[in-house]
Amino acid sequence: MKRTAFAVLVAGLIALGTGAPAWAHHSFAAAYDTNNPITVHGVINQVLLRNPHSWFVLDVKDASGKVEQWSFEAGTPSGMIRNGYKPNIIKQGAEVTIKGFRARDASQNRGMLRELTTADGQVYGMFGPQEGPAK
Amino acid sequence: MAASMPGGVLPYQPWAQELRNRRFADNSKDHPDAHCLPLNPVQLWFHPQPRKLIWNPREIVMIAEANGGVRQIFTDGRPLPNKDDVQPWWYGYSVGKWDGDTLVVDSTGFLDNAWIDEEGSPLTNEAHVTERIRRPNYGTLEVEITVNDPKTYTKPWTVTANQRLMADDELIEFICGENNTSLPHLVGKQ
Repeated sequence: MKRTAFAVLVAGLIALGTGAPAWAHHSFAAAYDTNNPITVHGVINQVLLRNPHSWFVLDVKDASGKVEQWSFEAGTPSGMIRNGYKPNIIKQGAEVTIKGFRARDASQNRGMLRELTTADGQVYGMFGPQEGPAK
Repeated sequence: MAASMPGGVLPYQPWAQELRNRRFADNSKDHPDAHCLPLNPVQLWFHPQPRKLIWNPREIVMIAEANGGVRQIFTDGRPLPNKDDVQPWWYGYSVGKWDGDTLVVDSTGFLDNAWIDEEGSPLTNEAHVTERIRRPNYGTLEVEITVNDPKTYTKPWTVTANQRLMADDELIEFICGENNTSLPHLVGKQ
């Protein structure tokens, strides 16, 4: 008798964006301080769709014109792709505003991305496209 | 993990409660998942990333998208071994058999010092975990998990993790260690 292998793909019914917060499953609490929100405006230097989490790297100009680099950690590439995000949606050179939470390691210009808004008003959450601001 | 328990608290032994509190106060920085290491099966069923179950009459293989883990459930009739006769595994040693329409999976041989949730509830090598898995409808897999670890908990306890069928998707490669740049910046209790 022919033996056939079957396969199904399942996921927990706690979908992304509901139930446990996304930060809970990668020890984001150890890296970022949710009591320390920050907002940074700058120009995209690089978008890294890499595991375990994607990164949005900004060039940020201060009042004196000096440029500093800031890095914001976003969702898993797989989670962002499933949510409709594709590479190159947000391009190098794009002007964006990122709201997030500061890294606990204060020596780093790093944060956890909560919401990214492009110059034309498109809003992205940490897992990519969404309607309106992150809850 | 305790959210579905009566009173919202797992029945910890005192040392386990203390360890859990310490791990959580430390921002869970030592959670294996944060270090790209496997999730214990008790937590894995609740993970937001999907898992693929491939089965044939001899075994079921679970491929977890998270951290590329592979868990084996042997369904070829072999008995569950004594935990002292097997090398401890992150995913434990699992055997499954059918009870009507329910797959009953028994597991032993877990690595000591395991984490079974974000807050750091422990599990030890003494644990015997039973999963009763059934499919009440086409799109749902109901997984009833009973943890019996007398070293860690004063009595066995049960939680249920419902799985949603992802009928039109595939696993996406997730190589956790390729750019885990947060690792040197995890900060514990200060």
